[in-house]
Amino acid sequence: MKRILVAFDGSEGSQRAYDFALELARKFGADVLVLAVVRLPEPTTSLELDSILDLGTEQYNKDFEALLARASGVNVRTDTEVGHPAEKIVARAEHEHADLIVMGRRGRSAIGRWMLGSVSERVLRYAHCPVTVVK
Amino acid sequence: VTPVWALAALWLGLALVATLLAIWLRVSTALSEIIVGIVAQVAIGAALGQGALGAKAPWITFLSGTGAIVLTFLAGAELDPRVFRTQLKAAGALGVAAFVVPFLGCTALAYWGLHWPARSAWLCGIALSTTSVAVVYAVMLELGLNKTDYGKMLLAACFINDLGTVLALGIAFAPFTWRTAVFGIGSITVLAVLPWATPRFFKKYGGRVSELEAKYLLLLLFGLGALATWADSEAVLPAYVIGMVLAGTVGKDHTLVRRLRTLTFGLLTPFYFIRAGSFVSVSALIAAPLVLLVLLGAKMAAKIVAVVPTSRALGYARKETLYSTMLMSTGLTFGTISALFGLSHGIIDDKKYSYLVGTVILSAIIPTVIGNAFFLPRHLLPKHEPEPAEGASEPGAQPQGALAKEAT
Repeated sequence: MKRILVAFDGSEGSQRAYDFALELARKFGADVLVLAVVRLPEPTTSLELDSILDLGTEQYNKDFEALLARASGVNVRTDTEVGHPAEKIVARAEHEHADLIVMGRRGRSAIGRWMLGSVSERVLRYAHCPVTVVK
Repeated sequence: VTPVWALAALWLGLALVATLLAIWLRVSTALSEIIVGIVAQVAIGAALGQGALGAKAPWITFLSGTGAIVLTFLAGAELDPRVFRTQLKAAGALGVAAFVVPFLGCTALAYWGLHWPARSAWLCGIALSTTSVAVVYAVMLELGLNKTDYGKMLLAACFINDLGTVLALGIAFAPFTWRTAVFGIGSITVLAVLPWATPRFFKKYGGRVSELEAKYLLLLLFGLGALATWADSEAVLPAYVIGMVLAGTVGKDHTLVRRLRTLTFGLLTPFYFIRAGSFVSVSALIAAPLVLLVLLGAKMAAKIVAVVPTSRALGYARKETLYSTMLMSTGLTFGTISALFGLSHGIIDDKKYSYLVGTVILSAIIPTVIGNAFFLPRHLLPKHEPEPAEGASEPGAQPQGALAKEAT
């Protein structure tokens, strides 16, 4: 295993996913890419779009600093994209030839899953590589 | 004073509920606020009587109107003048087509098909001619097309489409008296001076805690808005054009735009969108739901008729053309602004207003629900050329499920 992609959204689940990925990376000597996806509301308005992009990018940059601080011994890269999280995670994992995707689970209700879809379920369905969902 | 504070608390409570719903359902706050406005008007009206929501109170009307004006200004200020100039020919053709065909098509349908009076039919055409720069920009960002010529052209076309809408709104119902001439000449003079005077004024006196920039901009928006309404035109027309002419200066001042956004998002737009929703008559929508579908179909069909041939004539590929059409069929902000203008000026009644706002909401909701609940748009995924990577299998070469996908 050479490349691990961690899907990060700032939640406790994704923090645990990152720690789990670090452990694996240390054992296998793998590199880690932490990917955060800024998801826009639909249909977005210009006011909301710019605010979310600004705040989302700022927040993730702060989070990334904290993540990098505990990455000792592991080569960790971070990046932020805009779009549907599942789509972006799957596409980036393919592009980076990731050997594993690690992600947290947010535990939405049944209605929430129907309305929004579960990101982890969609990544499981479409990813080209193994996916680990950390609870 | 107590009733004012109580009413303000009620409205901000509704705004908070709308924001929470928007967070939970991942829909735009504007859409959520309109729907909360519709529900609140029904629920509070049934419990406390019609008018309990106070949507016609002068101070709520003022905050709501200010929200529409500042929102429109900020939308205009998003324009990138450099891109606009370089893409003017293609964007102009596409933007004009995307405005004119739906405008005339929906007007014709409302007049001959739904037998609306002429002024109501024109208003219908304007309200359904809109597009959404934000929706287009969001998808461009997702696909990484915002930096391509095609993406820039499409965004510029959206600005031209919306400019057509606000111009039509400002002109179509103006009586063309000497007041109209004063408004036109006054606006052109101010707009000609602004790009030169504003940066100099800000450079000399701006950057202080007294928020001089915000006061200056609000003065301009209110001043030209007053001139517009005095001439029986619409205040959002000068607001959008001021935004466009200041896009290269004020629009680039990130800190200032951010402060204006906070003011607008936190206080003004909730009043605007909840108020817009509160005027929707649910009974009218239930009585004739087919009207909504007819109007929605007309808007989308007109956009297809306008955008597909124009885009193909400009040399864009079929796939890009279909995206253009799909993306240019929305328009939440300008759609509601146009409908509310019609209602407040007596051009349309509350039933027609409800149909128009209902159509605008449907055009926003239907693709969202379909997209989120049933469809992961795999075909939108960027196609990357496989790169040789040590120890990595080719994407797609590995049979699905050959390696266990662990869920721990």
